[in-house]
Amino acid sequence: MTQTQIHRHTRLSIFMHWFNAGCWIFLLLTGLGLIQNDDLQPFTSWPTILRIVFGGGANLLLAHEIVGVTWAGGFFLYGIVRLKSDVLPFFREIFNVNIHRDFLWLVAKGIQMTLGYRALGVIAEKFGFSPVIPDQGFYNIGQKIFAVPAVFGGIVIVASGITMILSQIGMASTELVQWAILVHFITVGLVFAGLLIHVFMASIAAGEQPAFISMFTGSVPEDYARHHHKLWLDEVKKS
Amino acid sequence: MNKQLAMVIDSSACIDCKACTLACKVENNVPEGKWRNWVKRSEPDFNKPDWMVHSASFHFQPGGCMHCEVPTCVQACPTGATYKDEKDGAVKVDPKLCIGCGSCIPACPYGARYRHPTRNIVDKCDYCEKRRARGELPACVVTCPTKARVFGDISDPKSDAALLLKKNQSVRVINKESDTKPNMYYLSATAPLNWPVKARMPDPIQLWKMAGPLIWGIVGLNAIGVLIMLGKQILMNDKAPETDESHEETRQS
Repeated sequence: MTQTQIHRHTRLSIFMHWFNAGCWIFLLLTGLGLIQNDDLQPFTSWPTILRIVFGGGANLLLAHEIVGVTWAGGFFLYGIVRLKSDVLPFFREIFNVNIHRDFLWLVAKGIQMTLGYRALGVIAEKFGFSPVIPDQGFYNIGQKIFAVPAVFGGIVIVASGITMILSQIGMASTELVQWAILVHFITVGLVFAGLLIHVFMASIAAGEQPAFISMFTGSVPEDYARHHHKLWLDEVKKS
Repeated sequence: MNKQLAMVIDSSACIDCKACTLACKVENNVPEGKWRNWVKRSEPDFNKPDWMVHSASFHFQPGGCMHCEVPTCVQACPTGATYKDEKDGAVKVDPKLCIGCGSCIPACPYGARYRHPTRNIVDKCDYCEKRRARGELPACVVTCPTKARVFGDISDPKSDAALLLKKNQSVRVINKESDTKPNMYYLSATAPLNWPVKARMPDPIQLWKMAGPLIWGIVGLNAIGVLIMLGKQILMNDKAPETDESHEETRQS
């Protein structure tokens, strides 16, 4: 049974998504391997394993830096080329928040994802709110909330990473670099914590398979769009 | 037993000629204003009226990186670019892994480390690694006219350094608050003794040690959240209530 497919992602944004995912996995694993210090590294054998795989810490650092600069450079170019068509609309969308509707969505969806619809019904009745999960736009509020640390965290990660590279060509003070290392670690940790949710919601969670497939095909079935991003579908239909 | 390279120094033989510091600078291309080794001095207190009575004299104390047993510099390095080589017991810097963040510099009680102004990494004594690869002794050791510096593997009982240690009483110069167990031994007694500073971890490294568990905790909490959602999805037959669906249907039309 075929149903109407709604265009959701351009080829370039699909490419950027998987480019981002690939770089993130590589940078996360190599970055974790770069931390070799008994007081700072909970997974003590990981740095040792990676240093064997890469043939020494120097190669590991170099690989991390090359992929890191490629990642940052890729997004920089994307940002310039698609500023008007992708980037600005993206920011408009993620900051387009309806406090009442979206807060209710967060509460209701959170209960449904962890405790189920029945519990949602009971709790909604007890606290006097509607058990209907409110409609959402191109992104739901959960995605919008994660978009902020993903984008701004990314900028902080790149800035602190560049600071460390500048240190290697003698253009950053030691104190600044020491702070940059800490900021790099903390930011990656926080964004990664959010990424766990993103990966689950987008690939494993029930009913989200069409979203996962759309990250290859670029389009979603109309039913899925109606169920998950109704406000967006309405706008698509209008235009 | 692993090797432990060390220096055993008869500081009473030192005449403060500073040939060792010069030889080191030439051998290792140490930049202007920076030093990999030193000669400290203690002076008699000339203000005391009886300074001559106590046969007070100058005492000179050659030194350098002490390749400590408990290296606080290694504890301060985030990446293991500074590490204690288990093969020879020397504390080394991997010049291609070090990004010159300088966290190790204040962590050394002896001030043995500096940031190289053109190589942009941290540099310090490596017991003249290149010379040793050729089978030669460190430059400071061969240069010393009075042979105050003796270098060798102190876990080899037949080495000059080990023999000297065995035959004589020796002392180590430490800061009481940061005993890094240095591998630099001074025969009988030495002076000055009060110059090593307390090892200082830079603020970001200290903060990292505290923030680390917090960050891992947040990652862990989110992972638990995902597992709860996954478990619920597998175990619970969770369908949207009928009324809900019909409600949505009506809204759509």
